[in-house]
Amino acid sequence: MTIASRREDALRRLAHNPTVVFGVVILALIVAMGLCAPWLANVDPAAIDPAFRNQTPGAVETVRGDDGSKVEVRHWMGTDSLGRDIASRVVYGARASLVVGIAVAVLSVSIGLVVGLAAGYLRALDGVVMRLMDGLMAIPAILLAIAVVSLSSAGLVAVIIAIVVPEVPRVVRLVRSIVLSVREEPYVEAAIAVGTPTLPLVIRHILPNTLPPLIVQATYICASAILIEAILSFLGVGIPAQTPTWGNIMAEGRTLFRVYPHNILYPGIFLALTVLAVNLLGDGLRDTLDPRMRMRL
Amino acid sequence: MSAPVLDIRGLTIALPPGGERAHAVSGASLTVAPGEMLCLVGESGSGKSVIAQATMGLLPPVLRATAGQVLLDGEDVLAAGEARLRALRCTRMAMVFQEPMTALNPVLRCGEQIDEVLAIHTRMTTAERRACTLDVLGDVHLPDPERMLASFPHQLSGGQRQRIMIAMALVLNPHLLIADEPTTALDVTTQAQILALIRELQRKHRTGVLFITHDFGVVAEIADRVAVLRHGEVVEVGSAGDVLSRPQHDYTRMLIDAVPSLVPRHRVVASDAPTVVATRALAKTYGRGGWWRRSAAGVVAATDVSLAIRRGETLGIVGESGSGKSTVARCIARLIEPTSGVIALDGVDIATLGAEALRPLRRRIQIIFQDPYRSLNPRRTVGEAIIEGPMNYGVSRAAALANARRLLELVRLDSGAIDRYPHQFSGGQRQRVCIARALAIEPELIIADEAVSALDVSVQAQVLALLDEIRARLNLAMLFITHDLRVAAQVCDRVAVMQHGRIVEHGPIAEVYANPRHEYTKALLAAAPGRDWNFGATSRRP
Repeated sequence: MTIASRREDALRRLAHNPTVVFGVVILALIVAMGLCAPWLANVDPAAIDPAFRNQTPGAVETVRGDDGSKVEVRHWMGTDSLGRDIASRVVYGARASLVVGIAVAVLSVSIGLVVGLAAGYLRALDGVVMRLMDGLMAIPAILLAIAVVSLSSAGLVAVIIAIVVPEVPRVVRLVRSIVLSVREEPYVEAAIAVGTPTLPLVIRHILPNTLPPLIVQATYICASAILIEAILSFLGVGIPAQTPTWGNIMAEGRTLFRVYPHNILYPGIFLALTVLAVNLLGDGLRDTLDPRMRMRL
Repeated sequence: MSAPVLDIRGLTIALPPGGERAHAVSGASLTVAPGEMLCLVGESGSGKSVIAQATMGLLPPVLRATAGQVLLDGEDVLAAGEARLRALRCTRMAMVFQEPMTALNPVLRCGEQIDEVLAIHTRMTTAERRACTLDVLGDVHLPDPERMLASFPHQLSGGQRQRIMIAMALVLNPHLLIADEPTTALDVTTQAQILALIRELQRKHRTGVLFITHDFGVVAEIADRVAVLRHGEVVEVGSAGDVLSRPQHDYTRMLIDAVPSLVPRHRVVASDAPTVVATRALAKTYGRGGWWRRSAAGVVAATDVSLAIRRGETLGIVGESGSGKSTVARCIARLIEPTSGVIALDGVDIATLGAEALRPLRRRIQIIFQDPYRSLNPRRTVGEAIIEGPMNYGVSRAAALANARRLLELVRLDSGAIDRYPHQFSGGQRQRVCIARALAIEPELIIADEAVSALDVSVQAQVLALLDEIRARLNLAMLFITHDLRVAAQVCDRVAVMQHGRIVEHGPIAEVYANPRHEYTKALLAAAPGRDWNFGATSRRP
């Protein structure tokens, strides 16, 4: 069996794993929803309509156009206290969540990978880098977000930075522990003995071992980043309130939650579904990529 | 003759579909009489451990016995339920495993583990159980039984742990003892003591013993009868003397011929051959210090090691685990930095050179490791592994690949193997690839660190012959690290015996083996299993 066919084999096993299939389908639907938001949303998500506030799901509004024609608009998920269409806001909100989730996962894994490889392989760096990471890990994402927002302005970049910083040390620890065990493998020592310089040695012989667990870790980071973004937005230190994100929609609906629960219910459902789908995908990947788990199955 | 304790009749155990073969064990029949020691011999994958597991009712769920019976005192254990098996284990049959560290529970004191057996299977009071436990520890000749009872497994040596395992297995006087490679993980001197202990207890209690091993030296030492297993089939059964001296089956003959002789072969090395590598007062202390405490006292792994290896010569370093022989090898290969001393490579001291200064010199010393499964990167082809070294030294990819094909043929592999991945090869083939990789940058010294220890005896003989042939053909110097005195006898010209990090004896191998001067060398030679049996006498090279 060649490496290529082993890869095909892994893909086939993934395709036969119901958890993975379920996760991938849901995730694909939500990604599609985010991408097609301009066509799916029938109303401008930022449009305020003071005359049609706090409507329950399914309410139909008659809108008069500039030329006097009448158009009926159905608010599938109702409207919020400013009369904005929740369905449109939820559809657009998927964008913020996905962008934050993916950006945080990619950034923290790539930074963590480089730092972890360096700390694990270059013994001189290890002590200093790891103590630094311990320090970073002590910073809570929410407090950091408040600090970052107060330094610059609230926005997507600030949120991503605030979530990446405490996430990086976890990746570094994972990578470092793998490097520490792989560097003792005889094939790494054999490569040293045939005079392979450090950089090619790390890239050829050590890096490939760290990738499968990192891919799995990336999915968990993605799921947690989506949640943290929602929390930050809900608290008002995340993405500005006018941008629709699931956290913002829920924050908006908090005051009238007892009377109009749909404001929190719908974004909550989508948030939960997305995080569930990403986690299911991660579990399936772990079962497939981790040989020890496979033996147990 | 009395009825057998264990009577295995036509046992067939199916492997999961899609494997190398359909059955782990097919139609195996053997018997063990009371007070008899039956050695079940076979190479890795022959199914010998599966037979033991089937007898104990410990088969993994993917394996199923599809035919045959395993009669313990006439009762078929294959048909027995879980409750019945639990009742039989320890009282009628017991097992000793290969690795005593993992077979004992690390968080329970040794005394509690033996006590548990008694508490489950007998109605003894606490005081009676304690007396019984102390009694059985005396039986296995453990010094200071009171202290042993209160010790955790990690506080004991490997030999002491195996004695605890044997005590635990024999405390209820079972009729059958299954010993699955019980001495393989032990040093040779400890192995001799454990073998003697099993023999003594077996005679005293008239226990039937099914002793599983791959080592014909051990067979010659203790067996009453021998059963030879190949690919799950019993190919030969007979008394130990018959099987060892007049093997009937070709496979048995091949296995016995492959056992290296303890008699060193004779070979003359030109006395004016230039010295390739010499060490002077080499020492390595593994520090316990870390980032915080740099000055904590360390572990002395090697001290005052002075050796010289000449072109065309094989120097052996023999010793037990922890003697420092691998540390010396890794210092000379400069995989680790020695604490002090000199490693002279053509007059240049490489002991303290930094990574950059060392790189041009690395190609002159190559090392082959013990574990063929971990010596090759599983994600890279055999060809990529072999050409990595030459390409580091500026050889073009095409030229390196052409040379790699030639080297694969030199180590008797098909040159088409170049595009395949390590997992497509057996252990012996992988070790050949490792030899090819080491040769690819044309070294002057090859270090073989237990390079044949993980291989089956028949494969081991082939790899040894190959190493010796290559050393002769390319006129290399070789440093051969091994714990196996038989292997050393077959390839080494001179030998250094190490104990506790020091060389205690050093000289031409024939002299050292014939007239050992140091007590430790004498003990090692006396402990070599089957030393009275002249293995390889018929097939030894002139």
